[in-house]
Amino acid sequence: MDMEQKLQAATDIVKEWTISTNNPEANRVDAVIAPENVKKAVAALLDAPWGYLSAITGVDHPEYSTDEAGVKHVIPDKGTLELLYHFSGGAVVFTLRLTLPYDHAVVDTICDIDMAAQLYEREAAELFGIDFAGAPSKEHLVLPEDWPAGVYPLRKAFTGLKQS
Amino acid sequence: MGSEKKPEKFVVSIGPQHPALKEPGHFEFGVEGEIVTSATARLGFVHRGMEKGTESRTWVQNLYLMERVCGICSHVHAMAYAQGVEKLAHVEVPPRARAIRELIAELERIHSHLLWLGVAAHEGGFDTLFMLSWRDRETVMDLLESITGNRVNYSANVLGGVKIDIDEAKISAIHKGMDFLEERTRHYMKVVTEDETFLGRTRNIGSMSLDLALRLGAVGPTARASGVTYDVRVDSPYAAYADFPIKVVTDTAGDLEARFVVRIKELYESFRVIRELIDHMPASELTTRIPRRMPEGEVVSRVEAPRGELFYYLKSNGSDMPERIKVRTPSLCNWGSVLSTAVGHKLADMPMILAGIDPCFSCNDRMVLVNQDNNLSTWSWEDLRQYGIEYYK
Repeated sequence: MDMEQKLQAATDIVKEWTISTNNPEANRVDAVIAPENVKKAVAALLDAPWGYLSAITGVDHPEYSTDEAGVKHVIPDKGTLELLYHFSGGAVVFTLRLTLPYDHAVVDTICDIDMAAQLYEREAAELFGIDFAGAPSKEHLVLPEDWPAGVYPLRKAFTGLKQS
Repeated sequence: MGSEKKPEKFVVSIGPQHPALKEPGHFEFGVEGEIVTSATARLGFVHRGMEKGTESRTWVQNLYLMERVCGICSHVHAMAYAQGVEKLAHVEVPPRARAIRELIAELERIHSHLLWLGVAAHEGGFDTLFMLSWRDRETVMDLLESITGNRVNYSANVLGGVKIDIDEAKISAIHKGMDFLEERTRHYMKVVTEDETFLGRTRNIGSMSLDLALRLGAVGPTARASGVTYDVRVDSPYAAYADFPIKVVTDTAGDLEARFVVRIKELYESFRVIRELIDHMPASELTTRIPRRMPEGEVVSRVEAPRGELFYYLKSNGSDMPERIKVRTPSLCNWGSVLSTAVGHKLADMPMILAGIDPCFSCNDRMVLVNQDNNLSTWSWEDLRQYGIEYYK
């Protein structure tokens, strides 16, 4: 199976839930889905079976304001978070993308269908403040136990902890 | 004494501190008598915020930061990052630079697999094998030092190529080194597949079926020992792997012995491809020009690290600094296999099963035995290792 066929196969599997697709590189296709469909789409890819979950990447998209000097500043509490579920299959990478607003950053966990997702989800939960509903464990995995609640280091608004 | 003792339930907590090696981790094994019934992991003790750090450094500065993600497989990190940036910039790296990247990557794999062989032998109480394999590993460390100037963090890459070249003298030194190591490795293969005592610690221990390996998302030699055929070098050739290909090494047994056999056979493959590389090194420039500001976009860069697939995601906003860099190291994928294969095994097998995935952490110095009455007694990692060795005497 060549790269195009393999990517087409993945595109077809999640077609039902796909809002739009994008072809950023020759060996990649991104499919945008609604957050509520993540479990169905992931399950369909794994059941097919089409490749394996390589990683879950979180990306912060804050809103910016520009001051008189033309310098951009992050507006706290305004923006969206994006989750990228990367699936690898041989030479190709198929990515499911979904966007969550800051004020309702909740998405279903996929740990019950892919055990390997737990570490990736917990990373995104702690570093971006995404709530994975139904996750088996919400304890800290990468951040210290005494890390302040509501502080998410990989958001653009985070520039360091205040000295107490 | 003399009265029948009911098996007690314990939670054996291993880690997180170890002063000698990097990357601490914390594990809790629930045990019933000698048998492990549950396992959990707590990571992140050395979370250094590197992904955040990349966002306030330039694309060039980040090359040096990413090389320091890992002290064992530093080159693959720099290579994965550099390849990603080159894709963003739409820059083609000259053939000789690609061949040198592959050469260093394979030399690094030899050093990493020999290091693992020693560590795993040590955990199994076979210190002679540990000392011999580490003595031989010096051969490849010396080669890496003579080629790049460094024993670790070789810093062979620049964005757009490599900064080191090899000449006739180095080629002949590499040939000599490969011949010596190949002979030694054939001897180690005999040891790990024929030594009765050692086989007692590895055969049918920590077995993982093909099905389970796929379900857990295991990668690298850990997965290939269970018959999974993933290898980024073959699936999606990068550097010069299209011109100087390797063969995927797999096994079907899925136990610890198979993980030894797969890694040792991978060493043979590395020796072979290194000889081919240095005998047919393409002639070209070593670098190509690359812009300081990367065009907007996002790329995925994957390479096969000694421990499995290493995954980089890079996003550029058009400036001289990245918008986001995500690194997913292979060890992360393999924790799942430790936690699930541990269940049902003896506590004495835990050091070997942990070492079996070649975790990039090896760092547990203190463990606490907690029984139901909360009477604490403390064991060190050394105690657990010794316990394992005594148990199998």
